[in-house]
Amino acid sequence: MGATISSLIGAADEGDNSAAEALFVELYSELHRIAKRELGRQGVPVSLSATTLLHEAYLDMTSREGSSFPDRARFISYAARAMRGLIIDHARSRRAQKRGGQFELTSFNNESVEDPADDRDLTRISEALDELAKVETSLVEIVDLKFFCGFSFGEIAAMRNVSERTVQRGWDKARVFLHRSLRSNASI
Amino acid sequence: MHPSEKPAAAGGNFGPDWWRQISPYLEHALTLSGDERTTWLGSLREHDLGMANRIQELLDEYDSLNESCFLEDFPSPLSGSGGVAGQTVGAYKLISLLGEGGMGSVWLAERNDGRFERQAAVKFLNMALAGRGSEQRFRREGSILGRLADPKIAALLDAGVSENGRPYLVLEYVEGEHIDRYCDLGKLAVEARLRLFLDVLTAVAHAHANLIVHRDIKPSNVLVRIDGQVKLLDFGIAKLLEKNGEGGGETPLTREAGAALTPHYAAPEQLNDGPITTATDVYALGVLLFCLLTGQHPAGSNVHSTASLFKSIVEIEPPRMSEVVTSKKDDAGAAALRSTTADKLRPTLRGDLDTIVAKTLKKRPEERYASVTAFADDISRYLQHKTISARPDTLAYRAVKFTRRNRWQVGFATLAFAASMAGLVGTTTQTRAARKQRDFAIRQLSRAEAINDLNSFVLSDAAPSGKLFKVNDLLGRAEHIIQRQRGDNDANRVDLLISIGRQYWSQDEDASAVRILEEAHRLAQNVPDPSVRARSACALASVLARGREVERAETLIRDGLREVSGNRQLVLDHMFCLQCGSEVARERGTTQQAIARAREARELLANSPFQSDLEDFHVLMQLAESYRVADQFVDADATFQQAAIRLTTLGRDDTQTAGTLFNNWGLAVQFLGRPRDAEELFRRAIAISSSDGAEQSVSPMLLVNEARVLRTLAQFGEATKYAERGYAKGQTAGDQVVVNQALFVQASVFRGLHDFARARQVLSELEPRLRAVLAPEHVAFASLASEKSLLAQAEGNLQTSFDLANEAIAISEASIKANDSGPDYLQILSMRRSSVEFDMHKFAEAELDAQRALTIGRGIVQPGAFSCNLGWEYLALGRALQAQSQYGDARAALEAAVEHLEHTLGQDHPDAQRARKLLAANNSPQ
Repeated sequence: MGATISSLIGAADEGDNSAAEALFVELYSELHRIAKRELGRQGVPVSLSATTLLHEAYLDMTSREGSSFPDRARFISYAARAMRGLIIDHARSRRAQKRGGQFELTSFNNESVEDPADDRDLTRISEALDELAKVETSLVEIVDLKFFCGFSFGEIAAMRNVSERTVQRGWDKARVFLHRSLRSNASI
Repeated sequence: MHPSEKPAAAGGNFGPDWWRQISPYLEHALTLSGDERTTWLGSLREHDLGMANRIQELLDEYDSLNESCFLEDFPSPLSGSGGVAGQTVGAYKLISLLGEGGMGSVWLAERNDGRFERQAAVKFLNMALAGRGSEQRFRREGSILGRLADPKIAALLDAGVSENGRPYLVLEYVEGEHIDRYCDLGKLAVEARLRLFLDVLTAVAHAHANLIVHRDIKPSNVLVRIDGQVKLLDFGIAKLLEKNGEGGGETPLTREAGAALTPHYAAPEQLNDGPITTATDVYALGVLLFCLLTGQHPAGSNVHSTASLFKSIVEIEPPRMSEVVTSKKDDAGAAALRSTTADKLRPTLRGDLDTIVAKTLKKRPEERYASVTAFADDISRYLQHKTISARPDTLAYRAVKFTRRNRWQVGFATLAFAASMAGLVGTTTQTRAARKQRDFAIRQLSRAEAINDLNSFVLSDAAPSGKLFKVNDLLGRAEHIIQRQRGDNDANRVDLLISIGRQYWSQDEDASAVRILEEAHRLAQNVPDPSVRARSACALASVLARGREVERAETLIRDGLREVSGNRQLVLDHMFCLQCGSEVARERGTTQQAIARAREARELLANSPFQSDLEDFHVLMQLAESYRVADQFVDADATFQQAAIRLTTLGRDDTQTAGTLFNNWGLAVQFLGRPRDAEELFRRAIAISSSDGAEQSVSPMLLVNEARVLRTLAQFGEATKYAERGYAKGQTAGDQVVVNQALFVQASVFRGLHDFARARQVLSELEPRLRAVLAPEHVAFASLASEKSLLAQAEGNLQTSFDLANEAIAISEASIKANDSGPDYLQILSMRRSSVEFDMHKFAEAELDAQRALTIGRGIVQPGAFSCNLGWEYLALGRALQAQSQYGDARAALEAAVEHLEHTLGQDHPDAQRARKLLAANNSPQ
């Protein structure tokens, strides 16, 4: 099972769409499995950040697949999209079951008035991102890494080999797009 | 793209097409700051009103996003499903969740070992520790912070790792208000705010004394209890989070901490990956004080985005506090909260308070207060109506009109300083040694006296007053006077000869310098004082090394060092010898030894009881120059900068020494790929030695350096002028290196002007000149081959160009192997070959060479710094990727290229324009 992720990333790099689909499914179930493992431990108040989860997943997979496994930056750029899916699904399941499931999503900041973790918002953000992907893929990647995975501008800049300011500008633009998108869909 | 052609599509209908048209405009708008943006929108409005209005609307929407923190607060943690109240962590029982923040969740807890009750806050950190090593380190660092006992600092009671590997901190539980809210609620007047703020400074100073830097000072970390006691939270925790793993590189800790930083209070160096020091806290404290006194952030209302906040922190000089308090409604409110009116608040802030805060908000850490204590001192002085130590910028930074000061001061002040030091040593020693010490002190004083006598004679008596004189005439005169003196004090004569010899040397009169210094050295052999013998040996060594007698020079240095090392009285002579030794080591090519000697000199100075900006300046110059020669340009840049600051402190911004500093600094900066900065430095160096606009006394090498950098900046006309002048002066002075360098620049300029015939002609003049004096493996031939390659490429002879590019690279590689040169050439040569390969449609090879150049290039500059070399390399890479239809990667590379090139060469430089065009083309093909 494990060896497929390396080869799927290879194929996805070549532009193989079905490989990209399969890779998404694989990464999703891998992240899900590790999140379950980490959060399933007893006795401590646990909240697991997406960055930590991605890091754990990367360590897990490299140790399984060895040196042939692609570098961290490439792994994360694929896994970030899967992370988005994972987070939205868990927000959804939390709403559906109130307290069901093994883990749930919480708002990061108790003080914020509106709770952005509403899964309907997240779903709409995700849909808007899919729209945006048709025009400016790089902005979507920034949102996945920053908003869904919690990476800092500096880290994203390092991963993508661009300057931090470029990332910030991308993020600012993406926010305008998403806000406009959410607003215009809401008014329809 | 002309959006105006499709007004309907770009109108109200939101969607991909709409976005595609808006996107480039929005992107540009977001790069601009407030005023620039207003201007730009104004001009856009003139030719495309619809677009301007839509952008304005989006920007307004964007501002509202910042206020509502849209998408800001949700880095999505996944949390476990349970309340855990009642569970224990270490000796603490968790009671209730207090909150969750950037770093993790915080619980109210109480100690439950039965003997005494104590409430505490337990903070769980959102991170995983990698392995046992980091776990131990976390505990160890935690225990260091735990020892920070101060009533004004919330204590760190314990740090540990929970059973499932989650690190936690146990902190003193503090109930209080954020300091800004506390001040506003109590309507504290400015003076009361300052007194409260002094408490904060005392606490931070205490931590600094224990070598702990806070790194994240902001109102939410500075609480005031109901009884008025200040409590600082989270001391040192940012550092704890940032600590790298033993193996170096990135750990989960680093990443989490990166996300946790609060940009509003971040110092420039925190955004630029600069070293974090106590000065970082001084900056954050300055921002805090600014907010407390004015109710506004120094970046003001000009901040439209995180990006513009970063820009503001790193680049824009903050306004004065008194300037931001106006009579507007908001400011009236701010004044009321300070129990005053805006009209009264403004003059209170103007003057000393403005000056104090400005000094804390300097972009360069070394220009801020040297310590929090110094900062606190000034506030205390202000409160006691005493004179503060900080000086307003207008004085310190005032551009002093150029007057040519004599260079004697530099040398003499060094000896005068020796005298004062001797006096101090004398007073601190006792009984038996005292007599010896006193004699020593008197000796030093008489040395200084003798020099001062000569100084005043030569400058005031001998120089016809008010008339220009030539330094060499004066030196000849001084020499004559000394030779005729037939005193019994040989030691004094040696010192005077050394002084004159070194002055000749700095006038490039090497032959006279050697003659005089040889005599001083000979005379010194009969002097019992080891410092005199050491000085004469080392002064002579410096001059000989430049005359290529490097081995004898090194022997003399070792003789000199042997005379003085271990003798603490002779610390200044020891430093002098180390500095000369550093010069000699550079000439011998043992650059690491040069660095080591300069560093040792600096340590000697730092550990001596005396702080002298002048001595420190001399040592910094040696160190910087050694770094430069060792190709450690980042270190060189930083050290030259420190030296320049010392020079400003000394009021010597316009001396010849400053000229040397700026020239050599410019060279380092140029290697770092910042030609615009280099050009500014060269220009300053030229201005120093010019009088009335004439450049007669400007060093020809400096003229050629200026020419080269102007060529890089595509200012061909100016470049030609300077190259021609440098060439002529080099010819007159018989300086072949200058002449050859000038020819290089001229060839390159002609190529840039598409005058290929003349470029070729210049190269054919240059080549035999080089062949006559240099071995064929010298790296200069790599430059020559490369210049020929570029010319062939420009003329369309791609195969020839490619062959020459290969030849250049082969020479450079051999030279690196033989340790004759650093990787800087290889970087540029690989990038150039990539360009030839691109023209030959060998895109994969072009990509590979660009990557190779990038790898080298990134190793040369500091992470995050802009460099035109990196810009060209990204451009080469982006082009190659684009040609291979890898548009995604190409975009990233081209974006980086645009950014690097615009920053280093300017927006209008042809290469920056080319990069922008390619990027635009890259955005449309899909």
